[in-house]
Formats: sequence, structure tokens, C-alpha cells
Amino acid sequence: MRLALRAPAFVGMGLVHAWRWSFGLLSRGSCKYHPTCSQYALDALKDYGLVRGSILAGWRLLRCNPWSRGGVDYARDQRLFR
Amino acid sequence: MMMLLPLAHILTPLENLLRDVLRWLGPHGTIGLPWAWSIVALTVIVRLLLVPLTVKQIHSMQNLQRHAPQMKEIQKKYKTDKKRQQEELMKFYRENNINPASSCLPLLAQFPVFISLYLVLKHFPHLPGDNLEWLGLWNITDKASQGWGPVLVAVYALSQLASSYFMSATAEKSQRIMLLILPIAFIPFIINFKVGLVLYWMTTNLWTVGQGLVTRRLMPRPAAPEKRSSRTPPKEVAAPAPALAPEPAPAAAAPGQPRKVKRKKQNRGARR
Repeated sequence: MRLALRAPAFVGMGLVHAWRWSFGLLSRGSCKYHPTCSQYALDALKDYGLVRGSILAGWRLLRCNPWSRGGVDYARDQRLFR
Repeated sequence: MMMLLPLAHILTPLENLLRDVLRWLGPHGTIGLPWAWSIVALTVIVRLLLVPLTVKQIHSMQNLQRHAPQMKEIQKKYKTDKKRQQEELMKFYRENNINPASSCLPLLAQFPVFISLYLVLKHFPHLPGDNLEWLGLWNITDKASQGWGPVLVAVYALSQLASSYFMSATAEKSQRIMLLILPIAFIPFIINFKVGLVLYWMTTNLWTVGQGLVTRRLMPRPAAPEKRSSRTPPKEVAAPAPALAPEPAPAAAAPGQPRKVKRKKQNRGARR
């Protein structure tokens, strides 16, 4: 039952892995945050499920732009969903 | 695959936009280029729009180079703990107001363009009888595995290699090896794409290379020597050591102190 509830998040995590093993390979180690955006997405999906995890990952990606400053930022430290 | 369908719908506006721009550039549009060259022109337009972003990235790269020695120290300090090392580096960036050169969003932004162009090429807006050839060798709607396609794929792989070389800010050995392997590993996939898509990818890579060459020239170089000075000493120390070691051996053999030579060899073996 629990596994069934988490299935959507697994789909999202699969997509992240698909990214990692395709285009992501070209841009290895080029994220200004720690952990990287893809790792953040995996953590967020695992901890918060598909919908909230996707929102968190999307927000992180938007923050990972040339005008932001980067830094240490873990999914568990998020303040959007408490 | 089911999950990717809504993704394709999200991309429809971008797909339409690319198709419109291609039509505008193409033989029946305002500019009137042949189809293949309009793909090249489209790529150049996309990259031109990204130039301000690149300028920004170059500035941050310069800033990074200026702080390279301190960063090296941090990396040395936390050599064993990669996670801690990364965290400390990030803290250092923050304290010194460094904006790391690379970020995920621009990289990810290329992905939808690529998929949209793939969809555009699937239903390419040409009329019957249009010239679809490029340089008389490739038909842009053909698969890259046909005819002269593999040659183009080979050129693509080279351009990918060159552009990765210019894009990689870090000189980590494992990453360098990846950069060499990846373009080759991609060939089996790329060869199944349409020639037009390979053309886009190749052009964008060549643009990256050209941009890299120009910025290297234009970049003021106060940072570069600093970076070198931090790099060269270990090399100079490391290089003469093995070079000198075999040299004294024959020289020392004449005076007759073979023991020392043996010890040196043992030591070196132990270190390795």
C-alpha cells in the first residue's frame, strides 16, 4: 500500500535519472548549489512525493540561474511545505 | 512514455515558434535561405539571444580564477571528505561574493529547444520539390545513418568534444575522461536522429568553440598567471623528480655508489 502511494514519486525519480544519464552527462558537476539540482530533485521527490517534490525541484531549478548566488541547500531545509 | 506526452504538449508553443522562425528564414519566407542553412541561422539566432548570459558567465569565471588559489587550499584541506569539501567551497563562494559560472537552468533550457526542433523536423514545413540538401551531401530530413550521414555525425562528435573542452571550468581528471568518452558514447543515439537535428547540435557546438576562442582572446589576463602559478609549481617539482632520478643513475654509477640508486628506486616503488 505504502509502495503504491509512493509510485508517482518513483516515476518522477525515474525522469530525473533519465536526465542524468542523457543530457545531464554533458553538464556534470556544473551546478552552483550543493547538492546539485538533480540530487535535490531526487531528495525532494523521495521526501515529499511527486507533486510537492516536483514543485520544490522546479523552484530550485529556477533559482539555479546565472543571477543567483548558489550555496548549500538541502531539500530537507525547505520552508515551502511544513 | 505516457509521462512524456504532456511534456510534448507543454512544448507545443515553442515548437510552433521554432517552425515559424524556420519558415521566416526558409526559401518561402522573408529571408529566403535554403532549408538547411535556415536551421544553421536558427541556431545562430538562439545562441545570439544567449550571449548576454554568456557574458555574465565569463565574468563569474574570471572571478573564480581570481580566487583559484584559496579554493585549491580548501579542496586540499577536505580532500578525504568530498561532501564537506563541496559545502566549504559553497560557503567560500558566498563569503567572497563569487557567483559560480555554471548553473542548471540555462543548460536545462537547451533541452526543450532540442526536443521542439526534433518535433519540428518530424513534420518539416517544406513543400514538395524544395531543396532539402546541405552542401549537396546531406538531406536534412534523412536519418543521420544514411549516405554521408555518419561523416556528419563524426564531425558532430568532434565539435562536441571541442565545445565540452571550452565549457568545462574544472580540470578534474575523471571529468576530462568523461568529456572524451561521452561524444563517442552518444554516437549510437545521434545516428538515429535526423540530419537537421545533428546540424543544429553541431552548429551550436561550433558556436561554443568560437565563443570560447574569442573570449580567451578578449579576456583580460590578470587572473590567468595567478592560476598558472598555483598550478605549475607542483608540476615543476613533480616533473624533474622522475626526470632526475634516472639521470643520476648512470652518473652515479661511475663514482661507484650503486646503493643510493637502489634505495631511490625502492622508495619510488613504495610511494607508488
